Amino acid sequence: MSYQEKKILTNMLSGIVVLVAYYIYAFGRYRNGLEDANDLKFWAGTMLLFIGIGVVASIIIMIIFHILYAIAIAVKQRNYDDKEINHTIEASMVEDEMDTLIGLKSSRIGFIFAGIGFVAALVSLMLGQPPFVMLNLLFFSFSIGSLAEGGFSIYYYRKGL
Amino acid sequence: MKKNIEITNTIRTLRFFANEMTQQQLAEKTGVSRQTIIAVEAGKYSPSLELAFRIADAFGVQIGEVFGYETKGENK
Repeated sequence: MSYQEKKILTNMLSGIVVLVAYYIYAFGRYRNGLEDANDLKFWAGTMLLFIGIGVVASIIIMIIFHILYAIAIAVKQRNYDDKEINHTIEASMVEDEMDTLIGLKSSRIGFIFAGIGFVAALVSLMLGQPPFVMLNLLFFSFSIGSLAEGGFSIYYYRKGL
Repeated sequence: MKKNIEITNTIRTLRFFANEMTQQQLAEKTGVSRQTIIAVEAGKYSPSLELAFRIADAFGVQIGEVFGYETKGENK
């Protein structure tokens, strides 16, 4: 598995953890009767909080990932000198035209998922569902869109373009 | 009617004749990742014209000696 695939998988895992944490926290409070479903301020606040947590978690996880990745290469090449190890690390992290193209193609798919979610959220309002359902559908579809983007990136890396 | 074409390449052969140049060495010479070279060599990714020229340049040959194409039926 290449550096890019590992990076995408790590990002996807952090996204899944934040999404699951959001649903456990928000719906846990809702189920326990601590929050009113129609209190949109609560839902919006919780979503903003978890978006913030997601960004911070993603940065921290990426830093940890890069440290572990460098350690793994250093362990694999323990008989080589530091210069060669650094060279291997830098060479494996190169981003080129294929990465850009895969990024563009998979982000388009991610936007399709988010777009479908947006339409589903509007439909839910039309069907008389409360606004918190719409908000959660939006949040969910953007998260799924982001995961789909990662999933399709890995697919393109494996299958080719 | 448009003909379906499949891009072919002789990178593996050229690497062999270039003193068994590794994919990593070719990647470094052309400024891309090893994964991209693997994908191009396996026919899973058609490189940009610029990269194609850089690959040909790395072997010191004309682009036509590296890349070619095969016609695969017809598409409407």
